[in-house]
Amino acid sequence: MADLEFRDVHKSFGAVRALGGVSFAVREGETHACVGENGAGKSTLLKIVAGILRADRGEILWRGAPLRVGSPHDALAAGIGIVYQEPLFFPNLSITANIFAGHEITDRVGRLDEPAMRSRAAALLDELHVPVSADRRMEHLSPAHVQLVQVARALAFDCRVLVLDEPTTSLTDAEATQLFGVLAALKARGVTILFVSHRLPEVFRLCDRITVLRDGHHIATFDREAATVDQVVRAMVGREPPGHVPRERPAGDARPALSVRDLVRRPRVNGVSFDVAAGEIVGVFGLVGSGRTELLETIFGLARADAGSVDVHGHRLAPGAPASAIRSGVALVPEDRQRQGLFFNLSLGDNLALPGAALVSHRLIRRREERDGAASQIAALSIKAPGLQVTPDRLSGGNQQKVVVGKWLEIAPRVLLLDEPTKGVDIGAKYEIHNIIRREASRGMACLVASSDLPEVLALADRILVVRDGRLRGELSAVEADEERVMRLAAAPAEGPA
Amino acid sequence: MRRFWHTRELSTVAILALEAIVFTWYLWPEGGRAHPFLNGPNGLLILKYSSIYGIAAIGAAIVIISGGIDLAPGAVIALTSVVTGHLFVKSGWPLAPSVAAGLLTGAAAGLVSSWLIVRVGLPPFIATLGVMGIARGVAFIITEARYYDLSRTIPPGSRLLGVPVDWVAPVVMIAAACVFQFLMKRFQWGRAVFAIGGNETAAVFTGIAVGRVKTSVYVVAGLLASVSGIVLAVAQGQGKADLATGYELDIIASAVVGGASLAGGRGSVVGAVLGALIFGVLRNALPQIPGATFYDRLIVGLVVIVIVVLDQVLVRHER
Repeated sequence: MADLEFRDVHKSFGAVRALGGVSFAVREGETHACVGENGAGKSTLLKIVAGILRADRGEILWRGAPLRVGSPHDALAAGIGIVYQEPLFFPNLSITANIFAGHEITDRVGRLDEPAMRSRAAALLDELHVPVSADRRMEHLSPAHVQLVQVARALAFDCRVLVLDEPTTSLTDAEATQLFGVLAALKARGVTILFVSHRLPEVFRLCDRITVLRDGHHIATFDREAATVDQVVRAMVGREPPGHVPRERPAGDARPALSVRDLVRRPRVNGVSFDVAAGEIVGVFGLVGSGRTELLETIFGLARADAGSVDVHGHRLAPGAPASAIRSGVALVPEDRQRQGLFFNLSLGDNLALPGAALVSHRLIRRREERDGAASQIAALSIKAPGLQVTPDRLSGGNQQKVVVGKWLEIAPRVLLLDEPTKGVDIGAKYEIHNIIRREASRGMACLVASSDLPEVLALADRILVVRDGRLRGELSAVEADEERVMRLAAAPAEGPA
Repeated sequence: MRRFWHTRELSTVAILALEAIVFTWYLWPEGGRAHPFLNGPNGLLILKYSSIYGIAAIGAAIVIISGGIDLAPGAVIALTSVVTGHLFVKSGWPLAPSVAAGLLTGAAAGLVSSWLIVRVGLPPFIATLGVMGIARGVAFIITEARYYDLSRTIPPGSRLLGVPVDWVAPVVMIAAACVFQFLMKRFQWGRAVFAIGGNETAAVFTGIAVGRVKTSVYVVAGLLASVSGIVLAVAQGQGKADLATGYELDIIASAVVGGASLAGGRGSVVGAVLGALIFGVLRNALPQIPGATFYDRLIVGLVVIVIVVLDQVLVRHER
């Protein structure tokens, strides 16, 4: 019997159709994946289940009867627990208070029954293997534990269906593995799970069936046993993935474009030296906490180096001064585009023009030059946007990321540092961004790409530097590198030849 | 042209015009007597007194756009009047250096605020609350409960650079509005202010000298507040420590009514001046309505809420 069935669900926002008639069923007790690129309609569907949005047309059947949810509270009361990608919680309150927020256990006069809530919360944390006191405040928890507290909240209300939205985005591999263990245990208890994701490896690892959405339509539902990754990717993208742009390494200049010597920024960067030649793409691979982000930020001057030097084409950079690094031709595409890359109060044109405007010697802004520059970046990077005047919140994640890349390309840097350049973008945009990096490298830009996405590093880099605990643990050429060798250098200190 | 109709300032102009029309109609005199509201001298009066708020509101708008807040302008106005008065009346300095010293006082107050915010890391609300107390306190210490009589400093009918003295304040306000509107919209400095208010972290990552820009913002705000201080001192004919008490909130309200968002990243200098004029008209016209004397603060409070709510509805409609 179907636990949760979507029947011809429609939803539009103004002229934009997010869902154009989606129908599929989640069977009782199964773990069902809903996959699709950004903009496929996954989030919209999820918000309708959660009662945040209302469908324009169609219905959702909940154990055979139409589901009526007007608010997240209704969904929880009906037995549908939702774990959000970017959870909203009360950082200043305890885990117990968060689990029972809005549904506190009270006695007859309405006083809070703290002991009852605390012991229930403690039992749930125990069940989910979260080794943290229920009295601890949420702000002290790791992202993984925050996710699990959301699961605990759903369990506290005896939810029969658990919906998870991209739950592993902010988790390390170990944490994700722990979460999958918890989900497997819940499944064994008969909980139905709807798993929204675009990470196919984990989908194949976890789920019984896989539903693919694209452009607001249901494309296919696969049985895991019968499906291949390629099939699912084709269904998601709707076309063959674009091929690599062939690339020729510009030869001639033997001197390094970027030269890093004995760079130290305690505690995360502990003496790193390497060179990047013009036209070369060097990958920096490291696990979470290995110091790769800090390495890039120290090179760029966001963090002041404790020791060591950075030279760009023979010119020594002043430590701790991003503006001087930029003037010397260094640019950093940061890890978190929302927080570190984009200005949501400014138009697309202004965003693209900002690094230029912050650096030019003439202080009067030349509007026409700016507009032309922005328009040419939008064309060159094929950024899909309704115009230069809109703010970045109107763009998809992939296009937002291209804006962050484009604002730096606009000032034609000689050294481009990229930190997780394709984090949270869909597959199509990922290939496009890779091709942009290849294109810029073949024009002579030195590119340093830090990523925790190993296939990405392997696909992109001419040479791979592996970091662990803020030190280089090895260097592999593209030819000799494979997942296992890189992983061995990045992970266990006992096995590596460190 | 479409851009023009979408500018945020237009709705503020519309509210100002509506307000003027309502008062003109409501206060229409019987039997052909002179109109108490709609006449030249009264218009000048409104402009003159609005400019005290308006000049400081330009600074307030810039601070708010940068994502901060400045509670000090009222106290800075008082301190400026006292410093200028003391130097001119007690120490016998000529007028120009006395005024210059007054302006420097305002810039110094802004510098202290920005130092507390940028270097010490205090939230702007706390830093400027402290500076507000310090500025007011220094003014009281200097005056020791006296006041400086400035009423005879400027002979009536004199001109400054060809501008009749009554017109100086409005001209300064309009000139400052034009200059700072231009700086905010067409110069990298203004773009940096908007960027910092929109997303300070991203501004750091983009290589904007956030500390330096913020410092300049508070210094500019302090300077503009002390220009207001000079204007008020001349208008009232005195330098006094308890001048402009509570003005900071009216100044912030002017900026907000003119479109500045306390969340940062949004607002307009011209809007702030228009906001000051909206309040100037209210303060001028309400007392002329028989029986309204006790209602004017209430009405001013309601107007703030109504205009800001109206603005939010309009913005939401646009999206």
